[in-house]
Amino acid sequence: MNSQNRKRLRGLSVHAVLMICVVISVFPFYWIVVMATNTSQDIYSYPPKLWFGGNLLTNIQHLFDKMDFFGSLLNTVTVAVCTTLLVLFFDSLAAFAFAKYEFPGKKFLFGLLLAMYILPTQLAIIPQYEIMVQLGWLGTLKALIVPAAANAFGIFWMRQYTSTGVPDELLDAARIEGAGFFRQYWHVVLPCVRPALAFLGIYTFIAAWNDYVLPLVMLVDPSRLTLQVALAQLYAGHSTDYSMVMAGVLLAVIPLVLVFTFFARGFIADATKGALR
Amino acid sequence: MDLSRRRFLEAAVLTAATAGLTAACGGGSGSGSKDSKNLKFWYWAGGLSDKVVADAKKHFSDATLKTSVIGGDFKTKLLTGLKSAASAPDITGLKGEDIASFLPNANRFIDLNTLGADKLAPDYLSWKLKQATSQDGKLIGFPIDIGPCAMFYREDLFEKAGLPTDPAKVSAQLSTWDDYFDAGVELHKALRKTFLINNIGSVFSMMIGQGTKRFIDEDNKFIGDQDHIRTAWTTAVKPYTLKIDAKINDNTWNAAIGNGTLGTEIGAAWHALDISNAAPGTKGKWRVASLPGGPSNLGGSFLALPATCANPELAFKVITWILSPENQARGFTDAALFPTAPAAYKLPALTGGDAFFGGQKTIEIFGPAAEKIPAAYEAPADAAVSAAYFNQLTAIEAKGKDPDDAWKDAVSQGKQIAQRQGVK
Amino acid sequence: MSSSPVAGPAPTGPSSGPATGPTGQPSPGHRRGPGRPGRRVRPVSAVARRGPRRGIARYWPQYLAVSPYYLLFSVFMLFPMLYTVYLAFQKWDGIGDMQFVGFQQFRFLWDDPIFWMSLRNTLVIWVLSTVPMLFMALLLAVLVNSTKRFTGFYRVALFIPSITSLVAIAIFFGAVFSNNFGLINAILKGLHLSAVPWMSNEWTIKLVIAALMTWQWTGYNAIIYLAGLQAIPSELYEAARMDGAGPARILFSITIPLLRPIILFTVVISTVTGLQSFTEPQVLFGSDASTNPNSGGPGQAGLTTLLYFYHQAFDNNDFGYAAAIVWAFFLLILLIVVINWRLVQRKERRP
Repeated sequence: MNSQNRKRLRGLSVHAVLMICVVISVFPFYWIVVMATNTSQDIYSYPPKLWFGGNLLTNIQHLFDKMDFFGSLLNTVTVAVCTTLLVLFFDSLAAFAFAKYEFPGKKFLFGLLLAMYILPTQLAIIPQYEIMVQLGWLGTLKALIVPAAANAFGIFWMRQYTSTGVPDELLDAARIEGAGFFRQYWHVVLPCVRPALAFLGIYTFIAAWNDYVLPLVMLVDPSRLTLQVALAQLYAGHSTDYSMVMAGVLLAVIPLVLVFTFFARGFIADATKGALR
Repeated sequence: MDLSRRRFLEAAVLTAATAGLTAACGGGSGSGSKDSKNLKFWYWAGGLSDKVVADAKKHFSDATLKTSVIGGDFKTKLLTGLKSAASAPDITGLKGEDIASFLPNANRFIDLNTLGADKLAPDYLSWKLKQATSQDGKLIGFPIDIGPCAMFYREDLFEKAGLPTDPAKVSAQLSTWDDYFDAGVELHKALRKTFLINNIGSVFSMMIGQGTKRFIDEDNKFIGDQDHIRTAWTTAVKPYTLKIDAKINDNTWNAAIGNGTLGTEIGAAWHALDISNAAPGTKGKWRVASLPGGPSNLGGSFLALPATCANPELAFKVITWILSPENQARGFTDAALFPTAPAAYKLPALTGGDAFFGGQKTIEIFGPAAEKIPAAYEAPADAAVSAAYFNQLTAIEAKGKDPDDAWKDAVSQGKQIAQRQGVK
Repeated sequence: MSSSPVAGPAPTGPSSGPATGPTGQPSPGHRRGPGRPGRRVRPVSAVARRGPRRGIARYWPQYLAVSPYYLLFSVFMLFPMLYTVYLAFQKWDGIGDMQFVGFQQFRFLWDDPIFWMSLRNTLVIWVLSTVPMLFMALLLAVLVNSTKRFTGFYRVALFIPSITSLVAIAIFFGAVFSNNFGLINAILKGLHLSAVPWMSNEWTIKLVIAALMTWQWTGYNAIIYLAGLQAIPSELYEAARMDGAGPARILFSITIPLLRPIILFTVVISTVTGLQSFTEPQVLFGSDASTNPNSGGPGQAGLTTLLYFYHQAFDNNDFGYAAAIVWAFFLLILLIVVINWRLVQRKERRP
């Protein structure tokens, strides 16, 4: 009886601690909404307002006056969608070759992929900037999409999945029918690896959406900015109108977070499954 | 037969998809078209009067001015833009504090004298034109404004503290830096939450502008360790020791300016726009008085034509129209841009009162200041070198670093930056 | 520069974890070198073997398939990296002519107190964030693992910060920790404590940046640990409990040893990403101040090495010097990762 109670008490305290952590985890989202729905004066005042206000539309109005929100949104979506589609295609194709075929130099090439993890990308950023100048891509979205169109992580991830998730029997059957490499990829591999593609897709999309450094360096024209750079610029400088900036943050961030929570369970499972393989 | 056709189809679809993607992603990769009636025009928020720019679009109805208000660090963005013809603007603003660093690459810009700027030169302040002239005589920028400096103060707070409130009296009584700091002590004594200045860096930059020498001399020699800088430094540190320094080095300035934390602001004419933008609620409470210690200049920008400009003649017409004395006068009322054409000083837009300053005729302060601005040589590396001093001044405020140690570090770091930038 | 996705996962994106996740993170006890991928014997393409072409040419589909990545890698990563080395020996303002200066940039670097200060700042921020982050993550993981209810909810809620935009978070922290008008100071005032000038004091600036990183990555690491915990057979725990081991003892003699490979993984990832902090101070201390852009805030307390690199390259247009900075920094990261690796491995050997 006593031990039963103690057990329950311990369970409760575990949940209490976890709930506190959850609150800390999601508090910023709540507070962003509070700030975005009040006026800047409310934010500056003491005691501060702790609940939602009715000023959201005015703040959004101000936001739209100060920045080309939909232009930036379109740019961000373009970059994220293009990058994701290209990554899915190139990475899964390369992964298929690595997972199911032997060819001279394979080990070396695969080892090279590994080296990518240690190389910090900023080592390359100045020359990258020069290359974009030479290509005439500086200031365009291409400068963001093309370098990110294939990545080492995606190839690893897809190779892992392809080697176990695509039955050799199916491939052999396709070969007997005379299907070559690309036909096998299209008809056998792609349908089999769809779950892995879903994870890689969400992951790539989020990374592209949130990227800041490359757009900061590569983009200039306000009509070409992505949301992250546009938001940072909005925040920079003296004339900071918190409630207006927070309205921007709200519009730029919350949709992604909501979409994510929708897919979250599968995504998190995939993200961690890999860590244990 | 069937097989190979399907195979072909797949390959085609794949290729098309990839090509389509790449094309779509490219999304109009840049005008490329050399239609000389289309001019890309870059400036920064507050860099020009938006109304004048809008009128310029109407005035040059046969041309299309595609204006972009560039955010972030303008110099960085401009450098990025200049690197390729596709991204370069046809007309661009150029900040006063940045122009020196562009002079070594004057060939990246069109020499405006070749377009007839030399004929217009007598109408504009000669020392300002000199700032935009390279050593071989190329003029790379046409002056938008100058930054004659003044002291902005809260009349209401001065009154509460028993200080003089009339601009002429304030100017007379607070004529030296020490007078100014004394007034600050009184102000802070009367109103505990009100400080005299936002940070000591602002005093330092004003004092540098009051001198005829900066950090590097004409012989490309580092002089940041000499007396004129040391004096500016010592004076700048005084308000910190007197505890009348609000030590604001971040964007809380924005709120501080509106809620009475700051009793005065020292800055250039264009700073008035920052104040009125940040604190519209304080309209009518501010006044302008002469800068303690004498006239100074801070900033003041230019319009320039990059060498890749699609239509130099037209572009030059546009900038000279925007910067005509009449339009400069409008720029003053609209964006606090103090004209570079003395003819504008007599126009009603300047001689009239400014409602934000309680109807004060601010020209009475800025006009005489503008006439007596000491011209100093500004080397390409000047801005980079000065950063070391400002950083150390903030270190005093943020860490309580000993001012003498900070001075030594500032000099040695300034020297190093100068060295890296090729200064002797 | 922490979130450039070029040729690899963005280190601060949700990436870091999955990044190395699928690369063959070993199951406890047995480390499978990710460099030896082809364990299973693969049927060589029947078509290819039958084909008339000889030599390497018959593998063209495979080479074609893997080529996009290596092409992009060569053009946008490998070549630029080498070019950065070349740049470090030049003086170059970005638009004028380059001038060979030998080892001068590295000599400047050695004498530059600001460079060393930026390294100190970076290391301090890294320690202030990584140590509490990984420690709390482990505790959180153990807590979630000890309960059966709401685990799905906890996992999602804890994971969300890691997928949130760093720019947005930085703006949020800037607003909340604002000296005069932030929520934190308002709370302190409510508790009759004096306000803290968070954004203008040498230490609090670092603390705010570290808090930001901790907030963003603790939950993520907890989820990774949790996955590891769930793989530990529960019989082990039961046996230990039978022997009368308390929770602390179980943690230190069962959980941590068995989690060691995963801990190693998170330590390495946190090191690599934590040392690359750039966006946080860059956004927090906005760059509009024309006299002094990207200086890292008051007293340069938030000037991390990568921010200093950016400042030299894109504000001072001293590209040669910036190249020297970033290479020196890379070698330092490498050193720290190796040291970390060694430390954790030595612990492993000690039973």
